[in-house]
Amino acid sequence: MASTDTGADFTLDTAAELAAEEGGRGIEGKSPWFLAWRRLRRNWVGLGALAVFLAIVLACLLAPVYAAHVSGMSPNDTNVGGTITVDGKTVDVVSSGGVTTGPNGEIQVKAGGVPIGPQWWHAGGQYVLGADSLGRDIATRILYGGRNSLQVGIISAVICAIFSIMLALLAGYFGGASDWIISRSFDLIWAFPVILLGIALGTALAVNGFHHFGINLSGSSLWIPTFVISIVFIPYLARPLRGQILSLRQSEFIDAAISQGANPMRVMFSELLPNIASTVLVLFTLIVASTILTEAALSFLGAGVQAPNPSWGTLIAAGQNTIQTAPWLGIAPGIAIVLTVLALNVFGDALRDALDPRAKVRIEH
Amino acid sequence: MRSRKRWSSVLGAAAVVAVLAVIAAGCGSSNKKSASSTSSSGSNSGKTFDTLHVVWGDTDYMDPGLSYRLESWQLFQNIYEGLVTQKHASGADSTTVIPALASALPTVSSDAKNYKFTLRKGLKYSNGKPVKASDFPATIIRDFNMNSPGVGFYSNIVGSEGCEKNPTTCKSISGIIADDSAGTVEIKLQKPQSDFLYVLSLPFSALVPKGTPAKPLTNPPPPANGPYVMTSYQPHKSFVIKRNPNYKAGSIPTVPQGNPDVVIGTITDDLAASAQKVISGSADYDENLLPTDRLSTIQKKYGDQVKFFTTPSTYYFFMNQRTPPFDNLKARMAVNYGIDRDQLVKIRGGLGKTTQNFLPPTYPQYKKIDFYKHDVAKAKQLVQQSGTKGMKVTVYTIGDDEIDKATGEYLQGVLKEIGWNAGIRELAGGTYFTVVGNQATKAQIGFTDWFQDYPYPTDWFGVLQDGTKITETHNNNNSNVNVPAVNKEIERLSHLPPDQAKSKETNDAWAKLDHDLMVKYASQVPYLNGLLTDFFSKRMDPSCNVITNFYSDFSQYCLK
Repeated sequence: MASTDTGADFTLDTAAELAAEEGGRGIEGKSPWFLAWRRLRRNWVGLGALAVFLAIVLACLLAPVYAAHVSGMSPNDTNVGGTITVDGKTVDVVSSGGVTTGPNGEIQVKAGGVPIGPQWWHAGGQYVLGADSLGRDIATRILYGGRNSLQVGIISAVICAIFSIMLALLAGYFGGASDWIISRSFDLIWAFPVILLGIALGTALAVNGFHHFGINLSGSSLWIPTFVISIVFIPYLARPLRGQILSLRQSEFIDAAISQGANPMRVMFSELLPNIASTVLVLFTLIVASTILTEAALSFLGAGVQAPNPSWGTLIAAGQNTIQTAPWLGIAPGIAIVLTVLALNVFGDALRDALDPRAKVRIEH
Repeated sequence: MRSRKRWSSVLGAAAVVAVLAVIAAGCGSSNKKSASSTSSSGSNSGKTFDTLHVVWGDTDYMDPGLSYRLESWQLFQNIYEGLVTQKHASGADSTTVIPALASALPTVSSDAKNYKFTLRKGLKYSNGKPVKASDFPATIIRDFNMNSPGVGFYSNIVGSEGCEKNPTTCKSISGIIADDSAGTVEIKLQKPQSDFLYVLSLPFSALVPKGTPAKPLTNPPPPANGPYVMTSYQPHKSFVIKRNPNYKAGSIPTVPQGNPDVVIGTITDDLAASAQKVISGSADYDENLLPTDRLSTIQKKYGDQVKFFTTPSTYYFFMNQRTPPFDNLKARMAVNYGIDRDQLVKIRGGLGKTTQNFLPPTYPQYKKIDFYKHDVAKAKQLVQQSGTKGMKVTVYTIGDDEIDKATGEYLQGVLKEIGWNAGIRELAGGTYFTVVGNQATKAQIGFTDWFQDYPYPTDWFGVLQDGTKITETHNNNNSNVNVPAVNKEIERLSHLPPDQAKSKETNDAWAKLDHDLMVKYASQVPYLNGLLTDFFSKRMDPSCNVITNFYSDFSQYCLK
C-alpha cells in the first residue's frame, strides 16, 4: 500500500521551522528544489546508495564490452564441449562423463556435466564467476541479465508512472463518475496480490505472445513482463497521487486558475502536476526497486523474462538446483538484486527526506 | 511411455498387429545387458524384514486403470497382477511373459486369434473377495468407462468398437468371454497381434474386482490381488504398502512373496532432497534419478550403494513434418548433423550413450546406425540448400526439469548457429506432452523421449512413426511422420505368421525400417539411450536389486 502523511505537527510559521531544521540557515528566497538538493547532498548514505546503483547500471550497460573483450562470449553462447586454459593447464568447461562397459560386461559410469567454478582471473578473464551446465559464462550472463532486469524494472516503472499520473489527474480533477470508474479499476487490480496477478498475466502472454490492436509481441519479448509489471503496480502509485490531487483540487490557487479561464488540461498539467512532482519522484524510486524485485520474482517463477534471455530472476532459478555443488550460480545474481534494490530503497528514503522532511511515503504490497 | 517422470498419456499401441506366441518366449531380449541375472520365485529366501523406507518420484494416479507412469507401475508390479506378468527378474529374463493370475500361459488357437486362460484357484483380493474370471472383462470395461490412457491397447479385441466409440457407456465386449464357474477367460481378437500377451501384462489389464467404481481411486487405491496392498496414498506426499492379508504365501508362484513387511514411501520430485534422505539414513532407497551435479561426489563417497542400469529408452528431438522448415528433408538432416550427441550426453551428466538409432540397443532388431558425423559446416550448407535459412523456428522443451531445459536451450543454440532464427518455449512438465501432442500447437521441434511399454518394435514404430496413427490431440507421433511406404511396412511386419515374427528376416526388416526412417527420411533426431540410478542406504544390500521390465522391484530388496 502506498500512503502519504504530511505529519501531525502544526505551525503557523513553516519557514521558521524549516530554517531551524536547516541548521539555522535562511531558506527565504530559495526554491524547493534547491533546498531539497541542499538536504540531499548532506545525506552521505543516500548518495552512496545512488553511487552503488549507478555503478551497477554502468556495469550492466558495459556488458557488451565485457563480452567482447574480457569473457569473449555472448550471454547465450554455449560451450559444453569446450576447454579453457587455467594457469597453463587445459580443463573442461563442463566435466566429461559417459558410460563404458567393463571387462565383465558391467556398466561403468563416469559422472560428468559439472560446470567449472569461478576462475577469477586465472583463465584470462574467462569464466570469472564460473560456467553453467551449458558452458555459458556466468559473469557475462549476470551483466546481460542485469540489463534485462533493469530495463524491465525501469521502463515498467516509467510506464506505470505515466499511466498513474494520468489516471490520478483525471480521477482527482474531474471526480464524480470518472473518479468512481478509475478508483474501482484500481480496486480491481489491487484485489489481486502483485505476484499472483503478474504470474497470471505473464504466463498467459508468454505462451502465445500478444497480438492485438496492431501490436505483435512474441512470447519471449521483454515488453511482455515490462507491461505486465507496469500494469500491476499502477494502483500502488496512482492511489496516493489521486488522494493528493483531490486535496489540491480544493485549493484556492486551483479555483483562481479556473476562474481565470484555464482549461482542465492546463490546470492538470500546469497547476496540479508540479505540486505532486516531489511525491511522484519519491514514489518512482521506490517503485523502481519494487518492479526490479517483481521482475526477478516473476522470472524466477517462469512468468517473466523467457529463456534463454538471462535476467537475475532466471539466473537464480537456474542456480537453485545446484546450490550445494555450484552455489555461485544462484548467489551471484542474488547479490546483484540485493545491492540494486537496497541501493534504490536507501536512495528513495534519502530523496523523500530531502524533498519533504516531514513526509512519510512508503510502498507496501 | 514417456520418460521416468513423464509417461505418455495416450498410446495407440494396440493398433500394432502381427504375430503371436512369440512373446511367450519373451521376444527381443537376448542381448540385453543386465546388472545381474537374479530371478524371482514365490519364496522370500528368508530375507524378510520389518520396514522399508523409500523416497519416490511423484506420479499421476495410484489406480492401475489410469496410471501411465513408471513410478506407479514400479509399485504395481507387486500389488496388481494380471492374467500374465513379465518375469520379476533382471536382464533378458525380465522380458519373458509368464502366468500370474492364470495358472499357465494361454492356449492359443491355430489362427492366433483366440486366447484362453484358466485362473488359479483360491486367489483373493485384499478386501476378501475372491478373484473371479468375470473380473477381467469388468476391468477392461472399467478402463473404457474411465477413458483410461490404456484403452487403445484393446482395440483389436472383437466387439471393442462400441466401447471405443462411446467409452463411458461401455457395458460389454463380446470378444471377452468369462466363465466364473470354470474359471476361464477367453479373448477373441479380430486379427493376430504380436504384442498381445505383453498388453495383458500391463497394469491396465491387472484385475480389479467387478463393481470397482469407474473413477480414479486414491485413498485407498483399488483392492490388490498381489502379495502387497497399498493401504494409504496421499497424492504427492506419501504412501504405505503392507502385505496383502488375503494373499496366501506362494499362491502366485511366479511373483516374489517379498522381503519387507511394510513399505513407507515419501513422494518428492526434488532430486537433491531425495538423495539426501538416503544419505542421512532416513530412507533406504531413492527411486529418483540422482542429481547430476552431485552424481560424481555421491558415486565416489557411496560406491556400491549407487547402481546404474540401462533402460530401453531413446531420447530424441521430434521435427514436425507438417510445418516448415521440417517438411524439408534437408532441414531435418541439417539438425541431425548439427547436434553434437556427446555434448547432449554431457548435459545429462554422462548418464547415457549416444545413438543415431530409434530402437534401443537392447533389441535384437537393433543394427547400429553411424551415419551422421557432427558437422556444423555441412548442417549450415543443408539449411542453405533447403531454402529455409533465417526462418523462425521455435524449440519446445520442459522448463521445470533442469536437464530437459538445458537440452532445449542447447538445441536452440545449435539451430541458431546453423542458420535459423531460433526461439524457445519452455513448458511445465505436467502439460508438456499434452501441448506438443496437440496439432493446434504446431510445435515445430522439441525434446521428447520414449521408454518401452514392452520389448517389441511395434511399441516404437507403431506408436511413434506410423502415419496412420496420427491424432489431432494426445498425438505421440510428434514429428507427424507419415511415409506411406513406412506405414505399409509396419503393417506388413505386424501381420507376419508367428514363426516369422522372431526370425532373422523379420528382425532385419525392423532394422531396415529403423535405418530408413533415421537416414533416408531423417524423421527424428535420436541422440541418446538413457541410464537411470538406484541409490540404497548403508543398511541395504544392493546386490538384491532386481531390475525388472518395470524397473527396480522393491519386494526383493534385502538388508545386509
